[in-house]
Amino acid sequence: MNQLTIETHDLDFHFKDFQALRQINLSVPQGSIFGFLGPNGAGKTTTIRILLDLFHPTTGRVNIFGKDLLRNRIEILKKVGALIENPSIYKHLTGRQNLEVVRRMIDVPKARIDEVLKIVRLVDNADKKAKNYSLGMCQRLGLAAALLTDPELLILDEPTNGLDPSGIIEMRELIIKLNKEHGKTIFISSHILPEIEKLATDLAIIDQGEIRYQGQLDGLRAHKKQVLNIRLDHVTKASDILSSKGYQVYEQTNDSISLQRQSKSEIAAINRILVESGLGVYEIRSSDEDLESIFLNLTKKLDQ
Amino acid sequence: MNYAIALKRGISSEIYKYRGTLTLWLLILAPAFVPIINFFIFLFQGDKIIQPDTNPWKILIENSIDPANFLFPFFVFILALFVNNIEYNSNTWKLIYTQSLSRTTIYLAKMKVYIMMLLFSLLLFAGFTQLVGATLSFIKPAFGFNKTYDHGFLYLVSIKMFLSSLGYASIHFWISQHSKSIIAPLGIGIAGIISFMILVQGWEYIEYHPYGYQIMSLTGYRSEDFNLWAHMKAVYLSLGLAFFNFFLAGWEQSRKRIV
Repeated sequence: MNQLTIETHDLDFHFKDFQALRQINLSVPQGSIFGFLGPNGAGKTTTIRILLDLFHPTTGRVNIFGKDLLRNRIEILKKVGALIENPSIYKHLTGRQNLEVVRRMIDVPKARIDEVLKIVRLVDNADKKAKNYSLGMCQRLGLAAALLTDPELLILDEPTNGLDPSGIIEMRELIIKLNKEHGKTIFISSHILPEIEKLATDLAIIDQGEIRYQGQLDGLRAHKKQVLNIRLDHVTKASDILSSKGYQVYEQTNDSISLQRQSKSEIAAINRILVESGLGVYEIRSSDEDLESIFLNLTKKLDQ
Repeated sequence: MNYAIALKRGISSEIYKYRGTLTLWLLILAPAFVPIINFFIFLFQGDKIIQPDTNPWKILIENSIDPANFLFPFFVFILALFVNNIEYNSNTWKLIYTQSLSRTTIYLAKMKVYIMMLLFSLLLFAGFTQLVGATLSFIKPAFGFNKTYDHGFLYLVSIKMFLSSLGYASIHFWISQHSKSIIAPLGIGIAGIISFMILVQGWEYIEYHPYGYQIMSLTGYRSEDFNLWAHMKAVYLSLGLAFFNFFLAGWEQSRKRIV
């Protein structure tokens, strides 16, 4: 079994009366790209802030590299790089000077600044003031700062947020490179499923402060249902009729309903029921549920 | 030992981030403000200001300390805002608090840099004042700036001013760290000064007013028999308040949620 880089045990967190996290148990395998997926407001950033000791959990504990975070904070943070939400950058300083501010705190050799600038492809713009940087460049500079200590674990909170398509691709390539070539475990949060799908080896889905799924990406695909999709004229009436006959309609759009896939004879029976009820059936199609639908079913309120 | 090294790293990083900022210019230009004005006043009106048989250094120093005593609190308020707002404006609280230094070290580094900035600016003010006298002695020898004078006095008064300002400086450091509002700390500071000016006319507990420690510690400094070690209660109260507030702000910072 893989060693775990991050383990959380029954994390609860409250903002006054509002319970933001409920019994969060995460297991992030070493060497993985762990996607932390959930709609906006699901509790992703709160969890990340707890992982970085910016917030203290109401109950529960965090182990990173097998050690308790609260008791070994400095030792753990030496091996963790973080990029949290919008960039944290001193706009009046150049990119290089921003890195120098961090370097002085953590005491790594000066040459490391050039190394990380090279990794994030910012060498040519390193001496420009950060106020002239695009959002993509700011994110890359933030990533460079996170890489200064050559951390074993990178925690990235929505690193592609606000980036244009080329910026997103660039960031994605960078993350894969850091994982594959530099051997870093990467914990990345996002509310965009395709983004995580392209990157992650493992994932957890969080919604309303609770983990809805955790495991490998392939495991999520195993949740796929086979779907019978029927296009017809009166969806509400069709839905009522089928429900009264004991069929479960789990999705309804303007011109179609979806049921769990049935046998051939059942499909014929459903068709007969609908036609005999005077409904116009345009199409009956069997298909696999896609990942997005699985995610939607797990979270109920995807916010993209 | 390790802790001292960590604190040194925190301070080094803290100082570096002010490169090219208004804060750095404020540290140099604000202490030069009163001396520069005095230079021109003495240059053009010196013969009227300097009475015969008086030491011009005494007049220059009095003309420097009086306005400085009034203006310094505003400098303290603004500096407290700048050292904390640099993090709020850059969204960097979370950056500095995720580095491998303890929260206490990061807090102490910022606090120490703030305190050192206040001391530095006051000593610079004393230096600039001395430079004005020296320049005038060269340009206008008739004014008599070549007379002997205890130049250490100005530096000692500046240090006393520094110590007796730490009480309200700590209040403003805590407020500015607590919230990114610019209006609230300035409003509180101005209200503090005005309330002192009103209450000083008759309130029996005025000596405990934190915004008055600095002025009260320098009571009678113009007099010939002024004793620097008199009115030390205001200095001790200021230091006590500063210790309490800085400790409280540090304790809060070690527990608070960093957003």
